[in-house]
Amino acid sequence: MGNSLSISSLFGKLFGSKEVRILMLGLDAAGKTTILYKLKLNQTMTTIPTVGFNVETFTYKNIRFNMWDVGGQDKIRPLWRHYYSGTQGLVFVVDSSDHNRIEEAKTELHRILNDLEMSDCLLLVFANKQDLEGAMDPQAITDKLELSRLRDQRPWFVQPAIATEGEGLTEGFGWLSDNIKKTPKYGGGGK
Amino acid sequence: MASNQLPGPASGRTSSAASHRNGSIPQQRTSLTAMPPARPTRSPQPFDRNSDQSARNKPLSTGTGASSQHSSLSVGAQLIYEKPVERPRKLRSQYPRSSSENHVEYILVASFDIDRGPVMEHQYPVAITGDEHMLAELMLPDQAHVRNQDWTIFFLHKDTSQEEDDAERQAKEARRARRNRKRDRARGIIHESDDEGGELKGLDDDDDDDDDDDDFWDDDESTDSEPDGFEGPPLVYVLNLVNTKQDKTVKRGAVVKAMAICTRHPFLHIYKPLLLLALEEYFKSPVPETLALLYNAVNEMDLSLMPKLNWLERHLLQSSENKDLFVEKFEEMIQARIMGASGVDQPLDASKGPPSRPSIFRSGSRAHIEGHAVYVVPRDTHEFESKVLYKGIPIPIKVPVAVMPEIVGDFSLIKLIQNFSDSHSKTPHSFQLHPHLTTNGPNTHPIIVLINALLTQKRVIFLGHNMPSGEVAEAVLAACALASGGILRGFTRYAFPYTDLTKVDDLLKVPGFIAGVTNPTFEHHPEWWDLLCDLPSGKMKISTKIEAAPITEGLVYFQQQNPAYANLVHNSAGNGGGGGGGLSSSSSSSSAANDLTGDAAFMADILRSITTRAGERVIRAKWRAWVLKFTRIAAAFEESVYGASALYTGHGDDGQEGLPSAIGSAQGHGYVWVDEATKAKELAGNVARIEGWRNTRSYYSFIQDIARLSLIRPLRGLDLGHLHDRLRTQRLTPAQSRDIYDTLAQHVRSYDEICLLLSVAPESQAGLFYIALGLFHKDREVRFRTADLLERVAEHEAGQHWWRVLSRFEKLAYVRIKREAEAEARAKGGKEEGMMGDVGIGRVA
Repeated sequence: MGNSLSISSLFGKLFGSKEVRILMLGLDAAGKTTILYKLKLNQTMTTIPTVGFNVETFTYKNIRFNMWDVGGQDKIRPLWRHYYSGTQGLVFVVDSSDHNRIEEAKTELHRILNDLEMSDCLLLVFANKQDLEGAMDPQAITDKLELSRLRDQRPWFVQPAIATEGEGLTEGFGWLSDNIKKTPKYGGGGK
Repeated sequence: MASNQLPGPASGRTSSAASHRNGSIPQQRTSLTAMPPARPTRSPQPFDRNSDQSARNKPLSTGTGASSQHSSLSVGAQLIYEKPVERPRKLRSQYPRSSSENHVEYILVASFDIDRGPVMEHQYPVAITGDEHMLAELMLPDQAHVRNQDWTIFFLHKDTSQEEDDAERQAKEARRARRNRKRDRARGIIHESDDEGGELKGLDDDDDDDDDDDDFWDDDESTDSEPDGFEGPPLVYVLNLVNTKQDKTVKRGAVVKAMAICTRHPFLHIYKPLLLLALEEYFKSPVPETLALLYNAVNEMDLSLMPKLNWLERHLLQSSENKDLFVEKFEEMIQARIMGASGVDQPLDASKGPPSRPSIFRSGSRAHIEGHAVYVVPRDTHEFESKVLYKGIPIPIKVPVAVMPEIVGDFSLIKLIQNFSDSHSKTPHSFQLHPHLTTNGPNTHPIIVLINALLTQKRVIFLGHNMPSGEVAEAVLAACALASGGILRGFTRYAFPYTDLTKVDDLLKVPGFIAGVTNPTFEHHPEWWDLLCDLPSGKMKISTKIEAAPITEGLVYFQQQNPAYANLVHNSAGNGGGGGGGLSSSSSSSSAANDLTGDAAFMADILRSITTRAGERVIRAKWRAWVLKFTRIAAAFEESVYGASALYTGHGDDGQEGLPSAIGSAQGHGYVWVDEATKAKELAGNVARIEGWRNTRSYYSFIQDIARLSLIRPLRGLDLGHLHDRLRTQRLTPAQSRDIYDTLAQHVRSYDEICLLLSVAPESQAGLFYIALGLFHKDREVRFRTADLLERVAEHEAGQHWWRVLSRFEKLAYVRIKREAEAEARAKGGKEEGMMGDVGIGRVA
């Protein structure tokens, strides 16, 4: 155990891995905390509503992710803005089976992206809960969230996922790490 | 209740009580308000003194002073002044039974609604006006979902608006009814042997009388001895418990609920066990009645036997380790209760108890444990022991007796200091320089950086990621106490022991605050704080966005006045410099090496005390001394730079007319240095932070406190601390020390005056040692007079404890001198009354 730890920290140094701050938002009960702990611990946890926030750090593809998961109840959404500064990537989680609130999700997403501090961050959308009946597919989600409205310079991607099974998560973070390496902030358009 | 039947004897008793009161109230008023002005009008003639003394020494020499002493209720201002050591006023309860103040004002319950976030569920007895949602948010701290239980503390600033007044009035009605119930119950519980009925009614009427009396007294008292009340309405302190219970049957698997107690008592931690029980109960029956149950139980707690201490007594108790200090006052309270209960309605301090002294036992004594004792005196006079009966379970409660300003809740300075010292001692911090903060250069001890930040009113955040918010709150409360030392104020009022992102916009409107948070996002916003104290790592960080310290006039003047020391002044960390002589890294490193402020040595001493397991009280006393020293250095600085200081109100050294004045060379005031060079260096080390302190809230409220205290404190015009420090630190000629000893012996006479003397010579330092050195003075008269002074101290209620620990060789000297004086007086054969008094024969205690 101690051995593997020291190796990973050595790798960290070799590749000069910096910490990347990722903010994970979405309406309440979208599955944010489940995603966080599936990634961090590779465990499916029974989560309860987040009072405030969770934050965890984990390494994926030589990138240290410092990932913030902030509670989604509408009353506490105004607090999201305090987490914006210094954020390089936004993970927006949608409950694909929740047709009633997809419009609400769209409004919140665009409100976040319009903030000056979030103007050049990456956007990864998890179209979560694909296993549930009537779940919208990625294309439907893209349309409902009106992602085509986004300016071209911001890379974005919609990833279907089943957080409880861990399905789609690695793919999503794979996209995220590839794009982070391309951004000038993260040491310039390296590969 | 049963008290509605009103038999004859009770009404008779009531009227007698009333008439007694009529007689005593006006006199009480005169004795209290007359005392300070009585002094200036009396000219301090030595001759006058002698006659005073002879009058006083008579009862003493008979050895049974107690029996011949007069009641303070029946004496005029003149007599009160003359009374040497006994307490000058009637002893009162800190929390009289008849008081309209409740221990607890509100009980709240909030929960985390999975759709709406934090919501308030119930408030009892009435709803707190204002932002209910904000309260609910505070009650459900960040990450409550990751732990089963968490405590938080926060403060409410109550502004009394119209609607609130109405609500208050309604609440008062309810309170009154409840209080009557409580009173009856208390009688029932405390003395079961009493026959109920008429007696009860009589006492109730008596207490209602007392209500007016108390309002009057409290007003009076607040001008008399309480240096607070002009800062705005008192804070409401909130202790909150939050529980998260996993529950498969509810949507999303958990219930998060919080219950809070709102009180005006700063010792809110005493309610912890009750909240634990009551919140558990609320999970079972989530109804307002559960809140009412707790509300009534805590408000029925009886603290009426806790004596009220004046500010000097509180200071003495607070800085003493002695568990018996002022135990007499507790006994006296009980005595009065017994007399009241047995129908012997007498003034409290009129006699030393009836012949059949009912059972008073020390708490923890055998009789107490076996249940024979009806009344008990606490085993440690620092804490008053009481209990709360909750659902039939008696919960023991300990209430601090000496409540000092800015000391809120239960915290540990030792814990705070260790938290930030351990990592510093391994790898010293290297702080980014700021003149107000890094007073010993880049390696200034973090705790010194912290106290500097608090004194200069910076924005300080304690961050405890993944820590229970209760621990973060504790650190904030400890920091307030650290900077206050029980002397300065204006910290708790701007403290937010636990807060979160929802309040950040309001927080940032506060100029200078101390806040506790658990959300690490605060660290990413250096524009929100000046000093970030990270609790888990024990590291502090000065913000990159901190405002530069301005170059002030005082700083420039100091450098002009003291060119030799100008470049020791660590002003401006290279940003904007310019102002005076010199600075930069070389000077700051030199100041670090020289430890101009003495802080490095001080911290080393503190840490040594902690490792040698000195208690929390010792550490608090040392910090108190540090804060006191800082204020005195600031006063000296202001006097030297600005020519005058509002931090000293001794009315100059020449002695104003009517004020007691020092003899000969004993004049002078303020902090004492060995020599001028030492003074200049210490000032140079302190200039920046003193200037930073000079327009803060704590500075202004301190000036107000000083002004206010100067009206009521004994021995205005004399700086006893200064005199004592000269004896302690300076090399004095026999003439100089004679003047000091004579000044002390001449002026320190009354109960309060002796308290004041004891407060400048705390047991934790040298106690009476330097004063008793006067027993070895070259001049015989000085030796005699010092012996007289010590005799007065030894017979003083608090002074006896100081006397007891006096070194043996000084005690022997005392006995020898007393014998000498006795022999001399016998030789003279009492041909002169006045002289007799002067060297009066006293009992060796």
